[in-house]
Amino acid sequence: MDEFQLSEETAFVVDDITTIIQDTVETTIGSSAYQQNRINQWTSSVVETSLNQLSKLGKPFKYIVTCIILQKNGAGLHTASSCFWDNTMDRSCTVRWENKTTYCIVCVFGLAV
Amino acid sequence: MEEYNSGEEVSFNADEASVSVKECIEGIIGGLDYNQNKVNQWTASIVEHSLTQLVKQGRPFKFIVNCAIMQKSGAGLHTANSCYWDTATDGSCTVRWENRTMYCVV
Repeated sequence: MDEFQLSEETAFVVDDITTIIQDTVETTIGSSAYQQNRINQWTSSVVETSLNQLSKLGKPFKYIVTCIILQKNGAGLHTASSCFWDNTMDRSCTVRWENKTTYCIVCVFGLAV
Repeated sequence: MEEYNSGEEVSFNADEASVSVKECIEGIIGGLDYNQNKVNQWTASIVEHSLTQLVKQGRPFKFIVNCAIMQKSGAGLHTANSCYWDTATDGSCTVRWENRTMYCVV
């Protein structure tokens, strides 16, 4: 039974995941301005690409990726999340990204299998 | 009530979860206007109450509850989620709620 640190192959490494997500968002949206007719594509693309990259890591986790894209318009947005899981093995990480016209928030939850 | 009786495997009942969550939202922000000072409390309350209700159902599941509250001011908001899991047992549901001054997505 692993009571100490999990080995590299089975741990949810927040930094790696953050990097992957940031790259994905940068590639998908980059410096594009908010466009209502492309938004659907962007959100789908961000979550699918992120999930593909995460599953390529080959770690024993189930993943849930959520993406929120919000136009910079002065509106207030609050999000919260609460999780009922295994505190020792499961983790989440949130990446906030913005450009001149858009905010993008991506949450990744990793549940150990 | 389960549609399938597959022995020990239980699958996620999205309808039941939706109903619990809707009741939580209604109970916490139903009839209130968007209030910047209180939004933090509201999102936290909604996720905690929803989670408590879901856990009370006694099913053998881990849960993740996400809540977004947005002021109605003409801005565009899009959300998406994608999941890598066991499609036989795992599931998700999304509840969209609104009143005069705000949207709430759980």
